[in-house]
Amino acid sequence: MEDKLRRYVEGLFEETAPTKKAVELREEMIQNLQDKYKDLIAEGKTPEAAYNIVVAGIGDVGALIKELEDNTMPDIEKYQEAQSKSAMLTAIAVMMYILSVLPLIMLSLFGNRNSATIGLPIMFVMVAVATGLLIYNSMSKPKYNKESDTMVEEFLEWQSETDERRTLRKAVSGMLWSIVVVVYIIVSFATHMWHITWVIFVLAGALESLINILFTLKKK
Amino acid sequence: MSIASDLIRGHTDTIILARLMGGDNYGYEINKSIQQKTDGKYELKEATLYTAFRRLEQAGCISSYWGNERTGARRRYYSITDSGRDTYEKLIREWQSAKEMINKLIETEED
Repeated sequence: MEDKLRRYVEGLFEETAPTKKAVELREEMIQNLQDKYKDLIAEGKTPEAAYNIVVAGIGDVGALIKELEDNTMPDIEKYQEAQSKSAMLTAIAVMMYILSVLPLIMLSLFGNRNSATIGLPIMFVMVAVATGLLIYNSMSKPKYNKESDTMVEEFLEWQSETDERRTLRKAVSGMLWSIVVVVYIIVSFATHMWHITWVIFVLAGALESLINILFTLKKK
Repeated sequence: MSIASDLIRGHTDTIILARLMGGDNYGYEINKSIQQKTDGKYELKEATLYTAFRRLEQAGCISSYWGNERTGARRRYYSITDSGRDTYEKLIREWQSAKEMINKLIETEED
């Protein structure tokens, strides 16, 4: 009869997503109802009578269970909002990486010898700020709220990352790095600025993460 | 009885807070003590009880934790917070003044 009671409560939650809150409420209810059932049996009630009294005492939990579902919605919205903010920060950082060489190139092309040396510190400052942004982003980015997380969602997310998409991402990445090597060699031979052209690889790394972000965003 | 139930239902929060003023407790014990205090005349529905718990918890009046009992299963305990105590005092004052007003309003003039 106690199993029947458990099954009854589980039936009430059948159509609710198994969030942490829902599971906790369910277990709390089952525990309390079983205590009540045991007390009624101790009072001398028959198992059937005790079961009926317990079930009758539950009342309408529909609104309560529905409220659990509503509460999970803002979490998802908040998560998506945080993710687009995070994508924005990463994009800005990547842009700064790319633009950081610009002052250096411009000053070396159009300025005199001395002005070229000013470009280098500017570049490093920009790289430092961009790196700072990336670090801040990865540290402050909220993890998907476990409270509202369900195994079903996790599975769907995993499933949506299909093999086809993964292959495409790998192909793009491979292409990117081959091009980068070619560009590095061409630029280095053309400008003879071997001391600085290695930055191209840093940029390529940033570009790759940007591509990864675009893939992630497109997936949704 | 149903009219009395309706009257009492409006004070579910006060009743639960009052039960927790004496110490941490879990759902069934709270409901059982309510039943015993009213000689079995009044008992909260599970739905009402848990809705009140969620509401009070969100309002910061109570907090909950899972007990770790050696015998039997784990129970979810509730404990009253400082702000819950303040709310309780406030609700009691409100009830006292409402009670006085109602008493005055419903008594018939005999003098």
